[in-house]
Amino acid sequence: MKSNANTGSASKTLAEPQSADRAKRFRIPLIARLLGAKETGIFLALIIMGLFLAVSTENFLSSTNLLNVGRQISLLGIMAIGMAFVMISGEIDLSVGSTYALGGLGTGMLILMGWWLVPALLMGLVFGAVIGLINGVLSTYGRVPSLIATLGTLSVIRGTALIMTGGQPVTINARNGADPNLLAAFEYLGQGYLFGVIPMQLVFFVAVAALGWLLLSRTAFGFRVFAVGGSAKAARVSGIHVPTVKIWAFVIMGVLSSLAGILSLAFMPSGQAGRTGLGLELDVIAAVVVGGASLTGGVGTILGVVLGVLIIGVLRNGLVLLGISPFTQEVMVGLVIIVAVAIDKWSTKSRSA
Amino acid sequence: MSETSILEVRNVTRTFPGVMALDNVSIDFRAGEIHAIIGENGAGKSTMMNVLAGEISPDSGTILVDGREMPITSPRVSQKLGIKVVFQELSLCQNLSVGENVLLGAFAAQPAISYLNRTRSGRMAADMLARLGMYDVQTDTPLAGLTVAKQQLVEIARAISQEVRILILDEPNSALSPRETGRLFDVVRNLKSQGVTIIYVSHHLEEVLVLADRISVMRDGRMITTLENGPGVSLERLVAHMIGRSINASGQYALRSDANAHKGNIAMEVRELSVPSHIRKISFQLWQGEILGVAGLPDSGKDVLADAIFGLLVRSGEIEIGGIRLAPHRPSHAIAAGMSFVPADRRGAGVLLSMNVAENVISSALERFTRAGFLRLGLIRGTAQQYVDKLDARIASLGQKIATLSGGNQQKIILARGLVTGPRVLMLHEPTRGIDVGAKVEIYDILKSLAADGMAILMISSELPEIILHSSRVMVMADKIIMGQLRGSKITEEAIMSLATRSDRERAA
Repeated sequence: MKSNANTGSASKTLAEPQSADRAKRFRIPLIARLLGAKETGIFLALIIMGLFLAVSTENFLSSTNLLNVGRQISLLGIMAIGMAFVMISGEIDLSVGSTYALGGLGTGMLILMGWWLVPALLMGLVFGAVIGLINGVLSTYGRVPSLIATLGTLSVIRGTALIMTGGQPVTINARNGADPNLLAAFEYLGQGYLFGVIPMQLVFFVAVAALGWLLLSRTAFGFRVFAVGGSAKAARVSGIHVPTVKIWAFVIMGVLSSLAGILSLAFMPSGQAGRTGLGLELDVIAAVVVGGASLTGGVGTILGVVLGVLIIGVLRNGLVLLGISPFTQEVMVGLVIIVAVAIDKWSTKSRSA
Repeated sequence: MSETSILEVRNVTRTFPGVMALDNVSIDFRAGEIHAIIGENGAGKSTMMNVLAGEISPDSGTILVDGREMPITSPRVSQKLGIKVVFQELSLCQNLSVGENVLLGAFAAQPAISYLNRTRSGRMAADMLARLGMYDVQTDTPLAGLTVAKQQLVEIARAISQEVRILILDEPNSALSPRETGRLFDVVRNLKSQGVTIIYVSHHLEEVLVLADRISVMRDGRMITTLENGPGVSLERLVAHMIGRSINASGQYALRSDANAHKGNIAMEVRELSVPSHIRKISFQLWQGEILGVAGLPDSGKDVLADAIFGLLVRSGEIEIGGIRLAPHRPSHAIAAGMSFVPADRRGAGVLLSMNVAENVISSALERFTRAGFLRLGLIRGTAQQYVDKLDARIASLGQKIATLSGGNQQKIILARGLVTGPRVLMLHEPTRGIDVGAKVEIYDILKSLAADGMAILMISSELPEIILHSSRVMVMADKIIMGQLRGSKITEEAIMSLATRSDRERAA
C-alpha cells in the first residue's frame, strides 16, 4: 500500500508546483502558536488576577498562602481531571459530589469497622469505579442522556450514603475505635507534607494531572475519547467501540471522585452524608469549562483544566484575603464563570470568522 | 459463477416501518473487481451498504465471506473482515486534525493503553494524502478548515490507510472536482490491481461505465440485474433498468432555456464582494427570469459565494436587491429584501430534521402563519399542501418527519420553504447533490417554470451537466475571482474547464 505514492496523472493546472513553497509558509512560528493556543487567554486571566491580589493584599504571594491555595484546589482539581475525560467524550457527570461523599464516608466506615488501611482505601476506590460503571452503562447501553442519568444517580448515591451512615456523622478517631497507627497513616494522606513543605493533597493532584495528561494526549485511549466526543458516527465507522470508551471515562471519573472524597476525610476526619460534597459538581464542571473544554464534547486539554481549577482556587482565596463576605463570594464566583466562558466563545468566534 | 466470490449476499430482506428497504436481495462480489451499484434514491443501495458495514442487521438472509457464512453483526465485525466504507455523508471528527482523521482507524485498532507515535503517524497520514493528490494540505491543520471536497478526500484516505479487502465507496465524488475525481479513479484502479474489491455506489452513470467491471442495478429494494460492463452496456440501458421503463437519452435533461429570455430588470446587483482569503471583488448582475449558473473547481471560491451573498460570512462590498442595500452579515435582512437560499449541506443547514414536512415548509415565513403569536394551523396545512402539490413532493402526510424522506423529496421541501416567502431572487447551492435522476429532472423543470414567471435564479453547482444544460448564462470562478462568463452556445464543458483551471496571473497576461 505504501508504493505508488503519487498515482495521479500529470496535471495541467498551476496548483501543484507551488505546493512545496506553500507548505513551508504554513509553518507557524512558536510565539504565534503560543498566542493562538486556547490556554493562553486563561493563563493571562490567571496572571492578571494574581498581580491584582499581589498588589492589593499582603499575604497572597507568601509561600504559606500559595501552598494553601494549592491544597485547597487539589480535591477540586482531581475531580476536574476526571470530568475532563467525561466531557471530552461528549457526556457529563452530575453525580460527582455524591460519589465524593459515598467514597469518603464508605472508606471511613470500613476503617472504623477494623479494616486495614490499604484494603479500605482500595475498596473506597472500587465504590467509585462501580458508580462510574453504572453511570456509564446507563448513559450508553441504557440510552438515558447522561445529564438525566447522573442527575438520578446524584440523588440515589446521596441517599445510599445517608442510609449507610444512618444520617450520623462519620468521625475517624481513636475514641471511635480506629487503630492509632492506622489513623496516623490515614491522616498523613490528607494532612501530611511531602519533604515537610508540599501538602500531600497537592502531591495527589499533581500525580493525577500528570497521569491524566499522559492518558489523554499520548495514548490510543485518549485519542478515542476525543474521536468519540468529536463525532460518535465517525468513531464507530473507524472501528471504535463508542460505549466502551464512554464507560471508561465515567469509571475514571468515579474513581477520582472517590479518591477526592477519601482525601477530604483524611484531611478533616469527620463527615456527614447530608453535607459532604454537596453542590461540588458545579465547581468541578465550572473549572473544566473555564479551562476551555466544550460542553458538546471533543474539545479540552488537561493544561486548560488545571488552569481552570487554579482560576477558581485563586479567586476564592483572593476573595477571602480581600475580606469579602462569603455570600458575596458566591455571587462573584458565578459571575466569573459566566464571563470567562463568554470571553472564550467570543474570541473563538472572531478567530474563526 | 466461474470466478471466486469474496463476498456474497444471499436472499437478504430488511423492512423498516412501512417500507421494504431490501426485498430478497442476492448479489456476489469477486476478488479484485470494481463493482458498481446504481439505482435511484430509495432503491435500497444505502441500506445494502449499511448491512455490509454492520450498521443495519437484515431481517433474514445470509452473508458469506470467502464462501463461509459470516453474520456481520456490528461495524467492528465488518471492519475486522477488511470491509471499509466511505459513506456519502461525511463522518469525520471536526475537532481533530487532518492527520488524526486519516489515522482514526489505525489509532482505533491500537490497544487502549499504548503510546501514540505522532511523528511516525504524521508521515503515514501525509503519505496517504499524497496518494490522493493532496500535497497542499498539512496533516496538523484542523479538519474544520477544509472544504467539503477536501474533507471527502480525507475520508477516503482514512479508508485506504488500513488493511482493506473490500472498499465500499458511497457516492464518493459528489463533492469532487473533475480533477479530483480523476485522481480518485486512479487510486481505485490502483487498489484493484492490488486485489482489493471495490464496491462503487454512484448516480453518475457515465463514470460507472468508464470505471466498473460489473454493474448491478437496484430498484424498489430489489436487485434487478448485474451486467458485465462492455460494449453492449449503454447509458440508455442502465437508465432503463433503473427506472423500469425506457426513455430516450435526451429526455434525461430538459432542453436549455432560451439564452435571450431575460431582458427584464436587474433583480440583484453585487459590487466588489470580497471575503478575505476566499473571494475577491466579485461583481455581477442577476436579471429577472434568468438562471445564472456559477461553475468552478472546489477551491475556486464558488462554494463561499452563496454564504457571502446571503450574509452568513463577514464580507465587504455591496449587494442590492430591488434597490435595497443588504446589511452585511445579516441573513434575515436578505430574506426580507426578497432572497431565498437553498444551501448545499442539506442535512446540516437545510432541513429541520426533527420536524415534519409542514413545519419545514413554513419555517422561513413563520410570522405570516401566526395570529397574535398563535400558530394558524389550518393556514399552515393548507399552504404546505399547496406547495407539496406544486412541487410534486412524494410524502405520506404533512405530519411526516422530514428525516424519513428520500433526498430528492427533502430537497423539494427545502425548495418549497424557499418559495413560501415569495422571493425575487432564489439562490441555490448544489441544488441536486445526492438525489436521483428522476428527481433531478423534476427540480430542473420547477426551476425553469419559476424563471419563466420572472424569478431570478442563481445556481451554484459542481455538476457541469446541470450548469451546461440548465443555465441561460454561466459565470466561471477560479482563483477567488470570476474568470469569465459564457452565454448560449458558448456554454460547453471545454469552455468552462478552460476558464476554471486558469489562475489570476494567467488572465492578466
